[in-house]
Amino acid sequence: MNQISRREFLKMGASLAAMIGLGPLYAPALAEGLQEIVYGRVRILWLQGQSCTGCSVSLLDSASPGPVSLVTRYMSLAFHATLSAAQGQVAMDMIYQLVQKPGYVLIFEGAVPMGMPRASLVNDKPLEELLLPAVQNAGVVIAVGTCATYGGMPAAEGNPTGAASLRKFMEAKRLNTGNLLAVPNCPAPPESLVGSLAYYLKLGMPPKDPQFHRPTMFYSRSVHAECPRYHYYQNSQFASDFGDEHNCLFKLGCLGPISFSDCPRRQWNDRTNWCVRANSPCISCSSEYFCALKDVPFFRKGEAYRALKKTVNKSTESKSQGE
Amino acid sequence: MTIVKIDPLTRIEGHLKIETVMDTNTDSKFKEKFRVREARSTGLMFRGVEVLLQGRDPMDAQHIVQRICGVCPIAHGIASCMAQEVAYRTEATANGRLIQNLILVSDYIHSCFTHFYLLAALDFVNVKAILEYKGNDPKISGLKQWAQQELKDNRISPVAPFLPRYEGDYIENVDVNISLLAHYVQAFDMRALAYKMGCVFGGKMPHTMSLLPTGANVNVRVDDILSAKTKLEELITFINQVYLPDVALLAKSYPQYFKIGKGPEAFLCAGVFRESNYDMYIKPGVVINGALEEFNQEMITEDVRFSYYSSRSKMHPFESETKADPYKQGAYSWLKAPRYKRKAMQVGPAARLLVQYARKNNHEMCQLSDKLLEEIGGKPGDLNSAMGRHLARAVECKFIAERAMQWLDQLNPKEPSAKDFDLPETGIGYGCLEAPRGTLGHWLKIKNYVIENYQCVVPTTWNCSPRDDDGQPSAVEQSLEGTLVADAENPIEVGRVVRSFDPCIACSVH
Repeated sequence: MNQISRREFLKMGASLAAMIGLGPLYAPALAEGLQEIVYGRVRILWLQGQSCTGCSVSLLDSASPGPVSLVTRYMSLAFHATLSAAQGQVAMDMIYQLVQKPGYVLIFEGAVPMGMPRASLVNDKPLEELLLPAVQNAGVVIAVGTCATYGGMPAAEGNPTGAASLRKFMEAKRLNTGNLLAVPNCPAPPESLVGSLAYYLKLGMPPKDPQFHRPTMFYSRSVHAECPRYHYYQNSQFASDFGDEHNCLFKLGCLGPISFSDCPRRQWNDRTNWCVRANSPCISCSSEYFCALKDVPFFRKGEAYRALKKTVNKSTESKSQGE
Repeated sequence: MTIVKIDPLTRIEGHLKIETVMDTNTDSKFKEKFRVREARSTGLMFRGVEVLLQGRDPMDAQHIVQRICGVCPIAHGIASCMAQEVAYRTEATANGRLIQNLILVSDYIHSCFTHFYLLAALDFVNVKAILEYKGNDPKISGLKQWAQQELKDNRISPVAPFLPRYEGDYIENVDVNISLLAHYVQAFDMRALAYKMGCVFGGKMPHTMSLLPTGANVNVRVDDILSAKTKLEELITFINQVYLPDVALLAKSYPQYFKIGKGPEAFLCAGVFRESNYDMYIKPGVVINGALEEFNQEMITEDVRFSYYSSRSKMHPFESETKADPYKQGAYSWLKAPRYKRKAMQVGPAARLLVQYARKNNHEMCQLSDKLLEEIGGKPGDLNSAMGRHLARAVECKFIAERAMQWLDQLNPKEPSAKDFDLPETGIGYGCLEAPRGTLGHWLKIKNYVIENYQCVVPTTWNCSPRDDDGQPSAVEQSLEGTLVADAENPIEVGRVVRSFDPCIACSVH
């Protein structure tokens, strides 16, 4: 492992510290945190429930540390369904062996089908039977992505499987949520996951909000407040159609004001781009409101049609009543 | 008779179980002890996305359906846009089509690299060869030292995620192993680069933001074109110099896999990459027992006799429903069983390529495939096999990446990427195209300006479905029948066949 020098760790620690907004003083500590992931003192067990694997895909698009180092060295990935060579009974044996030795990091992706346990099966048994001991014996539990944090898309209005967040699952099983960390967004950004993990390993549990357990360093400021188009909002200059490169997207349906995430600064895919720069209104993928209600669509275009229909219906009703 | 179950079948997307019944192999020509008599494919996870969509704004669909799958979200997003375009009686703009193609190409390339290196390669490459590495490439010797350290520390699961694994006939040549491992490492960066290229137009990947019926939110900017071009050039170099040669090398190392994993002689392709509103780069078509016919979405029905649903069976997706019944007697999978003219079809890159052959389309693509097949003494029919699927995927990847260069040149910064459209009070529409894993269709019905019914028939639903109402097994189930297995405790051969289809279970159940 002498391929990665102390100097490199410090460099990465510094870029992490800057990203988290901690200042250079914390760089050495974070560098040591990274080193701990590298040297594999902490094993990581990655389980999936009602997930789309998007968060795993996103993690592997990580830029610094890069994906290779992340998987082969930074993260001691004891089991991950998409990456592990182990399969079938070999895989199950390994998972159970790991769960019997407390202290590992559990990363959980997806929602838990609490209303329909058979909607997520592992080795012919409901996921809950594996998830319960896995959560109980973990040193820290990280809910990765919006599904694991709030229930997300599977828990949208209508929710046929009773899909719920990992937090709700833990509360229902009367487990202590003190060691729960949640890293939302759809998918979860690799920076927030790796950053939270490194912070935890070196400095302990990062400050988090009491309701959803999100680390405040990534999830306390709204997309709206940090949006480069914020001044257009203040000047009431609103885009009226898609494809507007300058004006505020609020009236098209942008949900930036209720979305707490560092997207404008962090951006996506190694700072290549982000939603608003691509003229796309924020659909609040970081919040508990994501997909939640049928009456709150992503775009407001349809609202006008439906409102118009209601008024027309009302006026015809009153007319017919008048007659 | 031995029953062999692989659950979880890892290194695919999602929760899949494969259960096989094996007999003792009596054919003395082969040294393997077991032969698969029959197989059952079971998808184990359900969310009910089609149910959630009912009563929602139709324009929510292109974002919600992307969440069906984090590996191939773009194809879902575009299928939804196409279905909406039909329902809104409008069509895509030229820039819009090109941008959608480019984001989709980025997802295709990402998918190809992920599938071959991260998912499938570990069935063939002997990871332990790394311990014998004597060269001085810093990345590989770093890996070697890490593996040595892990083994020395005597951990619970040393060298995870590469070990433990099934034992079997891995590649013996050390140099081949090491070269493939080095490329495994490189592929991680390359797949991230593929998504960066898509992100230039999509805003973020996976689950892109800029897809819109008629095109995209994002405007064409010259700096974006250049940025995407730089990335695409690097990707094409990797495809030509590393990915394609690696697949050819693996094909030569395991020529027997051109005879293993043969699926039904029924191939479906809905076409993909819109060149105009009436023409696609990969042309649609259906080939059943060698006979070519036009693709017609009306021929599709969905059966649920062996699926955990109490919905009506044999329905066309416009009329299909999704009523979960998790304790249904006799059912064994969350996947429905889609059939085309009542036949179990095979979809994916091999099916697409065989349809192109039959249509005499994309000559260069077929020529390269012929050349590679000749080297191992094969013919186009051999593409219907475990190794054939890998070969077809790599050949297609090269040509769509090169074609994407031309799409970048066709983008016009002076034209808009989308156009205005009216939302209808009622309407119906469908969108069919090829996702990286095969034929994808979305069917949409609108009433009172909201979604009345939404149904998806997805590539892996075709390939990995359970039996249909007539008892006909799916492509994966058929392709496993007759597979020879050396050791029932280490059924590595079964994994190789299943993985050649690149199953995606989150997609297939949704």
